[in-house]
Amino acid sequence: METYHIIFWIGFSLLVMILSYKLDLGNFHSPGPGLMPFLLGVTFLLVSTYHFVRSFVKAGDRNGDEKIEFNKAKLWKLSIVMGSLLVYLLFFETVGYLITTFFLLVILFRSAGSKKWSLIVIGSALVVLITYFGFNSLGLRLPKGIFQWR
Amino acid sequence: MDLAAGLISGFKVSLQYINLFYCFIGVLIGTLVGVLPGIGPTGAMAMLLPLTFSLSPTAAIIMLAGIYYGSMYGGSTTSILVNIPGEPSSVVTCLDGYQMAKKGRAGPALGISAMGSFIGGTISLIIMMFLAIPLAKAALKFGPPEFFSLICASMTLLTYLAKGSMIKAIIMAVLGLILSTVGIDLVTGSPRFAFGVPSLLDGIGFVPLTMGLFGISEVLINIEGPLERTIFESKISKIKNLLPNFNDWKKSFGPILRGSILGFFLGILPGGGGILSSFVSYSIEKRISKKPESFGQGAIEGVAGPETANNAGAGGAFIPLLVLGIPPNVVLAFLLGAFIIHGIAPGPTLISQHPQIFWGVTASMYIGNIMLLVLNLPLIGLWVKVLKIPYRILMPLIILFCIIGSYSLSYNIADVVIMFFFGIIGYILRKLNYEVAPLVMAFILGPILETTFRQSLIMSDGKFSIFLERPISAVALLIAIFLLVSSGFSIFKKAKTKIIE
Repeated sequence: METYHIIFWIGFSLLVMILSYKLDLGNFHSPGPGLMPFLLGVTFLLVSTYHFVRSFVKAGDRNGDEKIEFNKAKLWKLSIVMGSLLVYLLFFETVGYLITTFFLLVILFRSAGSKKWSLIVIGSALVVLITYFGFNSLGLRLPKGIFQWR
Repeated sequence: MDLAAGLISGFKVSLQYINLFYCFIGVLIGTLVGVLPGIGPTGAMAMLLPLTFSLSPTAAIIMLAGIYYGSMYGGSTTSILVNIPGEPSSVVTCLDGYQMAKKGRAGPALGISAMGSFIGGTISLIIMMFLAIPLAKAALKFGPPEFFSLICASMTLLTYLAKGSMIKAIIMAVLGLILSTVGIDLVTGSPRFAFGVPSLLDGIGFVPLTMGLFGISEVLINIEGPLERTIFESKISKIKNLLPNFNDWKKSFGPILRGSILGFFLGILPGGGGILSSFVSYSIEKRISKKPESFGQGAIEGVAGPETANNAGAGGAFIPLLVLGIPPNVVLAFLLGAFIIHGIAPGPTLISQHPQIFWGVTASMYIGNIMLLVLNLPLIGLWVKVLKIPYRILMPLIILFCIIGSYSLSYNIADVVIMFFFGIIGYILRKLNYEVAPLVMAFILGPILETTFRQSLIMSDGKFSIFLERPISAVALLIAIFLLVSSGFSIFKKAKTKIIE
């Protein structure tokens, strides 16, 4: 696993160097916009390469703590949360804060382990209403969406 | 403006009703996030920053600073009562604080912790006031090369003191610097790495980035882990005698005094702040104690020293931020970002150009320390109840406040998208054992680093030797190089491990 993400970093640093080079490096007398990112890309490449070489040299010493352990049930829960956040982002401005946030909270409370549906629904509705009107009174405008008439 | 006049004007500013109110809100929220594991002061500051836009810069900074030093107080309460450190700087307090609570001495432990915090916080403020003016005068002579080298040294020290692998911390710091170059180049006006996305022309907002890396990723990690925290009930149902007795004071006097001085100076160091101060204080107290075996068994010195030191460290950490504009840790890096959003650049000219902010914030810390004493002792029962709020309720609320905080920055959904993006990135990085603090710190310091680097090269007509020709710059760079090289040698590795452990 360690090797894969170091390879990713090496690729990333090369990409930064190429994109910075295209930006105009200028010269040391008159640095261009690409100079700093290019030098950072070079530093990133050197550090990642050093890390890569060292991870090979120390491969024998490495113990299991670098392994990432995923629990399938928890991963499912995580996917639901991430998926619902994605859908939330898509509809947040068009449908509005009140409705989208209500549904998001219902999913989040449920995913976090709350059991009673009635409490989840009432709790989510209360939180949404309190935050909407509370923040509005503080001058923060949250999207009205389909409630434009309000 | 001399010291006395400055302090008097500072009290005039901080005693205004509005500033008093925001100081109270700051320390209250600070205590709250200190008590609640999972929400750190950085996350809380990020969530509340948009609410400060309508405030004066003084009130905003007073409130945000209050969250920082307030969290140091709150963290100790949970360490003592339930053996769960609310903040990393209170980890060491668990060792003796919880043992004292188990022996029915929770009251004196909480009492000495609050008193020590108050004394440490106050002494560090006094030292800060005396040091700030001469240091700011000296710093006025610093040019771009000095600032460039100091930032390099400070980031190297931060990565050196990182909990895990130093190489991973360096990778994170360089990544943060690269991310900070996104957006329009301020010198030439050319867009960099914006890929035609209008929202990226202004660069990546540090608030969505911080909220994502600290708030959202923390929630995602917790979804995977156990959602219910185990709270070990101890004999704390009725906490009596919060005031320590004469013997407790006699034992704690030395640790409090040493903790104040040591904490302050360790707090100034990059990577310092409250965490390093509390750990070093505990080690020193144990080493010089006549009864070192009593440490870990409920020795009051083991609570008094570290708790004093972490608050003194929090005060000391303000010195590099206010005087040089270089934050020593991630929470103060966030505060630097808040200063910039409010149109103020902390640094050597802060005291002369914005005396009301410097002295107002300093004086507010005295008042804030008194408020914290009042909040933390009589209201201890309330904080214990807060601690029992289940994570299944907190988790959705953290996400919700992150969304509101992020969206209300510029009423642009792109900020929320960026926040979630960095939330997922933060989650992956944490799973791969990368620390996100160096990334955030480097991201905030990146623009200053780049500007001073380019200015230095223009000044020297492209010669890199400018960084070595100027003594302060040369010393700072040598420290950075020494730390980088020494991290490869086992003898230094052992010393580093010892410091961190």
